[in-house]
Amino acid sequence: MPTEPIGLSRDLPAKRVMRTMVDGQDIAVWRSASGKIAAWANRCPHRGMRLSHGFVRGENLACLYHGWHYGAHGRCTYIPAHPELEPPATIMAQAFSVEERDGLIWVASDGTAEPRGLPGGLAPLRSLTFQTAKSEASEAFSSTPFEGNPPAVQSSDAGGIVLRVDVDSRTLNIAAALHEANQGETTAHLLVSDEATPAQKVSLSRWCEAVRRRAEAHVTTRGQENAA
Amino acid sequence: MSLVYAKNDWYAIAAADEMTLGQQRQTLLLGTPLTVTATDEGVVVRDDQGKTYPYQIKFDHVWTALGDAPRALFDIPEGDEPGRRCVPCGVVRVKCSPLRAVENFLDIAHFPFVHTDILGAEPHTEVEPYKVEIREEQDEVWATKVRFFQPKAAKSAGSGITTEYEYRVPAPTVAVLYKTCPPKPEAQDVIAIFVQPRGEEECDVWPWMALYDDESSFEELVQFQQEIFLQDRSILENQLPHRLPLDPKMEIPTRADMTSVAYRRWLKKRGALYGAMTEVA
Ligand code: FES
Ligand SMILES: [Fe+2]
Repeated sequence: MPTEPIGLSRDLPAKRVMRTMVDGQDIAVWRSASGKIAAWANRCPHRGMRLSHGFVRGENLACLYHGWHYGAHGRCTYIPAHPELEPPATIMAQAFSVEERDGLIWVASDGTAEPRGLPGGLAPLRSLTFQTAKSEASEAFSSTPFEGNPPAVQSSDAGGIVLRVDVDSRTLNIAAALHEANQGETTAHLLVSDEATPAQKVSLSRWCEAVRRRAEAHVTTRGQENAA
Repeated sequence: MSLVYAKNDWYAIAAADEMTLGQQRQTLLLGTPLTVTATDEGVVVRDDQGKTYPYQIKFDHVWTALGDAPRALFDIPEGDEPGRRCVPCGVVRVKCSPLRAVENFLDIAHFPFVHTDILGAEPHTEVEPYKVEIREEQDEVWATKVRFFQPKAAKSAGSGITTEYEYRVPAPTVAVLYKTCPPKPEAQDVIAIFVQPRGEEECDVWPWMALYDDESSFEELVQFQQEIFLQDRSILENQLPHRLPLDPKMEIPTRADMTSVAYRRWLKKRGALYGAMTEVA
């Protein structure tokens, strides 16, 4: 079942909550004060409030609406309206499998999360959202020249693309993990060899913007052709 | 079927004081586009086909009903008491079921989290037992003896007090609350919401108040209520599913939610299902 790269680990620090969509499912991903990550259906079992609007209290995620707390495995641990009550074990947020690997957060919409293998020695660069489908984003990564030369494609599959570029007589790996959260909207989570210098990171980051312009221009032209 | 039921209730569709001669307002009620025009013979409510509908002016609003046999419009007798100021508070557009908007208005457990430091504050989160009933003769939902600690219960309240509330649902998309009035403890402030269902997942909420408060200006009072409603809106637009689920398996109530449980049952019994869902999604 689909396992999607939904973000860079460093962009979800402790005590933060984010929202994502995987395979059409609305999901809240959050990290506890001690650093544990969890992914739950974005719907509080009490009155359906999106849990992504909630706030982290220690090892619990609290819902914004009535402050119900949910902890390990999605179990409800506290109901503020009834402070003395031990919440019934049946009140659970629906949990999804989540894994962190290579600096990325991977969430499965069903079953166990299976992150894709990436080359070692990569460090996070940035995330960038394209108003295109995943295939168009992937195509633009392989076809946009970097400093005059098209990058060499190492591998490419439904989860993203790994490229190699030569900069200043050094060879760097770039991985673009692609996540089409909503149809026609793809976020590329980018990683680059950790030996890249700050200046190289800046030029790679600019190149990613060129990739995005190319992908989006392609979509626009095609749209015009279809309309004509 | 739910639409047929809903068409025979009255809905606020305009603020009366804005319908001065020659004024026109385009709006949407139960999916039907309407034009409301103030003429020298009164208000005219008309749809795109030119069909006109009855109207009445009540509680500072223009009300209309689309069905052939509308049920009587409820009364709020306190609105006529001498010494009260009736304050229509404008309109707030919310992308949610009209029924979710009413249910939220009946809820106190959210005060410390959504209206932090205004209507509630941690650690005062406990909801004590209160009384809920369906008053058969009027066919209305009532919640009484509702008590809650509030840091700043009203525009006229200085410091924190325990406020007593009563809630009343006289129609599926209307809720009225009565609460302890700081400057006049023997009387109660009345605050209502008249929810205009634009569709099953979008509504215009018209808050209205009848208060004993001579000190605050009209603008201050309206601003206080608007601030509260904007906080509620950020919740209402993020509840899933957007329609109010009437199947008890879909959402889990606790004792603090007795009013909501009664409201949902009452809707189901009446067949007032516009904006509701009856099956598990
Ligand atoms: S909806 Fe989440 S605590 Fe009530
Ligand atoms: Fe509220």
